[in-house]
Amino acid sequence: MRFSHLKRAAVAAVAGAVLVSLGLAGCSGGSTASAGSATKGTVNWWSWTPDNDLAGREIAEFNKQYPDIKVNYKKVPIDNYAALLRPALASNSGPDVFTVNASGSFSGQTFAAYAYDLTPDIKKLLGSDWKSKIAPTGVKAFTIKGRLVAAEWAKVGAGNMWINQELFTKYNVQVPKTYAEWKTACATFRANGLGCFAEGLSGTSGFIVDTMHSILDSVKPGLWSDLLAGKAKWTDPAVVQAYQLLANMQKDGILDEGGNGIMQYPDVNNSFLTGKVPMVQMGTWYQQYAATNSLEAAVKGAGVDPATTPKVTIIPIDFPDVAGKGNPPTLFTDPDAGQAVNAKSKNRAAAVTFALWLGNTKEGQQVVANNLDEFPTLNGVEVQFDKVTLVNPDAQSKPLAELTAKLKAATEVRSYGISAELSQALITAAQNVIGGKSASDQVAAIQTAATSGQ
Amino acid sequence: MTALPQSVGAATTRSPRRRARRPAGLPWILPALVVSVGILYYCIGYTAYISTLDWDGASPLQEFVGGANYLKMVKDPIFWQSLQHTVIFFVVSFALRVVLGFVFASLLHSRLYLRTFYKVLIFIPVVLATATVAPVFRLIYAPTGTLNQLLEAVGLGSLTQLWLSNGAFALFAVITIQVWQSTGVSFVLYYAAMGQIEPDIVEAARLDGAGDFRVLRSIVWPGVRGTTIALAILTAIDSLKTFDVPFLVTSGGPSFATEFLGTQIYRVSIAYAQVGYGGSLSIVLLVLALAAAILINVTARRRERLDV
Amino acid sequence: MFETRRIRTRVGLQILLTVLVVPFVFPLVAMVQGSLAGAGWGNYATVLSLPLLPGFFLNSALVAAGVIVLVLVCTLMASFGFSKLHIPGKEVFFWLLLACLTMPGVVLLAPLFATVTQVGAYNTLWAVILPLAALQIPFTVLLTRNFVDGIPDQLIEAARVDGANMFQIFWSIMLPLMRPIIAAILVLVFINSWNEFLFPLLFLNTPEQQTITLVPQYFVGQYNNDQTKVLAAAVLTGLPVVIAYICLQRFFERGLAAGALK
Repeated sequence: MRFSHLKRAAVAAVAGAVLVSLGLAGCSGGSTASAGSATKGTVNWWSWTPDNDLAGREIAEFNKQYPDIKVNYKKVPIDNYAALLRPALASNSGPDVFTVNASGSFSGQTFAAYAYDLTPDIKKLLGSDWKSKIAPTGVKAFTIKGRLVAAEWAKVGAGNMWINQELFTKYNVQVPKTYAEWKTACATFRANGLGCFAEGLSGTSGFIVDTMHSILDSVKPGLWSDLLAGKAKWTDPAVVQAYQLLANMQKDGILDEGGNGIMQYPDVNNSFLTGKVPMVQMGTWYQQYAATNSLEAAVKGAGVDPATTPKVTIIPIDFPDVAGKGNPPTLFTDPDAGQAVNAKSKNRAAAVTFALWLGNTKEGQQVVANNLDEFPTLNGVEVQFDKVTLVNPDAQSKPLAELTAKLKAATEVRSYGISAELSQALITAAQNVIGGKSASDQVAAIQTAATSGQ
Repeated sequence: MTALPQSVGAATTRSPRRRARRPAGLPWILPALVVSVGILYYCIGYTAYISTLDWDGASPLQEFVGGANYLKMVKDPIFWQSLQHTVIFFVVSFALRVVLGFVFASLLHSRLYLRTFYKVLIFIPVVLATATVAPVFRLIYAPTGTLNQLLEAVGLGSLTQLWLSNGAFALFAVITIQVWQSTGVSFVLYYAAMGQIEPDIVEAARLDGAGDFRVLRSIVWPGVRGTTIALAILTAIDSLKTFDVPFLVTSGGPSFATEFLGTQIYRVSIAYAQVGYGGSLSIVLLVLALAAAILINVTARRRERLDV
Repeated sequence: MFETRRIRTRVGLQILLTVLVVPFVFPLVAMVQGSLAGAGWGNYATVLSLPLLPGFFLNSALVAAGVIVLVLVCTLMASFGFSKLHIPGKEVFFWLLLACLTMPGVVLLAPLFATVTQVGAYNTLWAVILPLAALQIPFTVLLTRNFVDGIPDQLIEAARVDGANMFQIFWSIMLPLMRPIIAAILVLVFINSWNEFLFPLLFLNTPEQQTITLVPQYFVGQYNNDQTKVLAAAVLTGLPVVIAYICLQRFFERGLAAGALK
């Protein structure tokens, strides 16, 4: 009787060991599943984007061509996406199709080991010159060690800003193109009780990285790409100058104070769309709010009654030349999303059909384009602006068309190649200088993060 | 039969003779052990194993590095910052939880009006998921948020701050939110424990002329000792593990001013994909938590023996 | 516990209580205000009109019920064993149990997922019930053991002298006396299972299996964070638990130790 507890403990230990080995066995490798039919089956699709109703539209369009493939969309909140995807893919019950990003914690690179090589299938669909028919940044970002791990279906641009046209007209403010003009413009807004350039540095989204990119492009064009490629060091004096400019922007009343404590989404977003903020830095995805229905939905979500709130007319503008060196404003672009197919999927052929459809067929890309939040990556697909109801077509049509043209011509990389550690270091450095620390003290830590993140 | 004189609510002392006559308890604790230990010890073992790896959690390439992750942790300034915040968090939130929970329980054990109404109000914060209250608090602490508006309205405009923008105040904000959410629990526990105290003792003390504070200090407070100790252990573990509030309200910032081990583990494991390093942080968390729990318990037992 | 015979003290204490409660109510008011912003009661209408909502409620209820039953059975037995009975190496087992409490959720995801899929429980409610129960038990055992310590040993001795066996003592004497802590545990475990978000998100794939905590994500887009409906969903999610708490109020009242001794 005295030793019975020891025996029980031993049994428990053995059971535990068995569980461990079972579990580890489950983690290693994957079965080579049969491909299944290419036109029939059930496909489970996991992604953080698009929203459920937009996904519904895309799937409905897909089913017009492939009625026998049932697609189940599971929208995972972006904050939990990486945490959930990893164990799911490690098991044998993961999704058949999963969306990946160009960089970051759920990039094509991160999950390349679980993805099926799409090269033969995309060649079948688009021909052997398929690379020339789609946006080249996506091909580069999603080709890992010679394998195409994801098929891109959307891209975004950043580096521009958006203004509230009503506020600019009301206070007779000119769109600033230089630092001095910006300072004057903001002084006018502040004299009338408003803020000026609002940005949220809290959270992990890192929109401040885009701002630092824009500032650095104004200081020394081309340096950003060199930095990302490892050809330059983050301790470069131009980087110090960029951070110093950020601190100056707050000191001189351009950048609103308190940025460290607010988040770009939802705080700044809600404030801007409800008309409280004159200017923000958001990318091309923001153009969806030029459309009446999206703006109304956003305003409702911000807790404001759209019927009694005047709709803001948002206009894209260039980032002002803050360094004063006459360098042109830039637009940089990244593939925003690619569809990857789980190599262990039991419905692999059907999954491949769906994965390639969204990004590489005219029908799929047209739905994506008309949703306005993402840009198509297949050559020859345009946003059909005539199908969209703009808030203020007279003021917005031309600038939006110009933005689209600029994005098509943009070749500079946005953040592909930035590791999560480097991104965090850039954000922390910005938070520090906003909090009053010196700019030159920050760059050493950024360089450390850059090298270790490789 | 007379009421028990002193060891009300505290663990009773046992004489060696009595211990031998107690019936065997092992079958009684077995279900709990099988469920918890059986399910979770695999996880602990797995975490310990991956803490010795340099692995990104996905690729088949796992490099064994032994204690390198632990060494990295010791040299990591953010790790020590997290610990510092944890200690501050523990001290402040424990004190507040205990004081508020005790005061509320005492008040609501008295004959006041609308007791159920108050009990519900204190408890509702516990019921709400952190993910839904976090945005509300972010708005309250925002630069133009309700707290600053309130301060201006009562003429304390000079005290307005950019709460979440400033490191020290951000930590304060995180602690207050946590206290708000958990006082209901300490209240409920103290309430149940106070129910175990013999009303006769209280009556006898009052007949002897003891005032409210005397009664609370000498009878009620020692009487709920066990609850206080349990709360200390739970708060210690909570402080080490805390994740939801700092993650959702401040994301560990600004500049890591509200970084805790929980948020650091998440950042390192999920964002940086350094699951080995995250694993080593988790194991250290487990060790620290157990050490804290054992320390609290041992100190409590020793104090109790001195009292007797 | 306070002396309330004089009107002056009673009023003073009532005011103190009210003042202390105000900071707790303030964010709740902000929450309800937020849930009524924008579309007003329309937010609630939208949430309630989600087609699978009753199913979500049912699944959450089933999960909560499963966890509560499992946790109560294990906890009450274990607290009795730890507190009143003889176990060699008792404290070691206790710390073993307590260690389970210290793992942060994110660390458990990968190994749990591997185990759950191995035993074929993926996309079933058991995948959520079992880990949740395993995580709650150390917490509840800690609290209940402490409570049981406060029940005098004399009661058990007296019953043993009368010839009762351990199970009878447990059932007829201990359980009734443990009502206040059972009520407390029940509510706390209910809350934790009802509010659990991460495990249902990971293990429940199809809407037929999903729980009510996954509702807000229908309103959180990549760019559109519809706070108003999220708050409305939060209020609706919180209601059942508040009701449960109110109903169990009377069990929090004073235990019957005094009466039993006499």
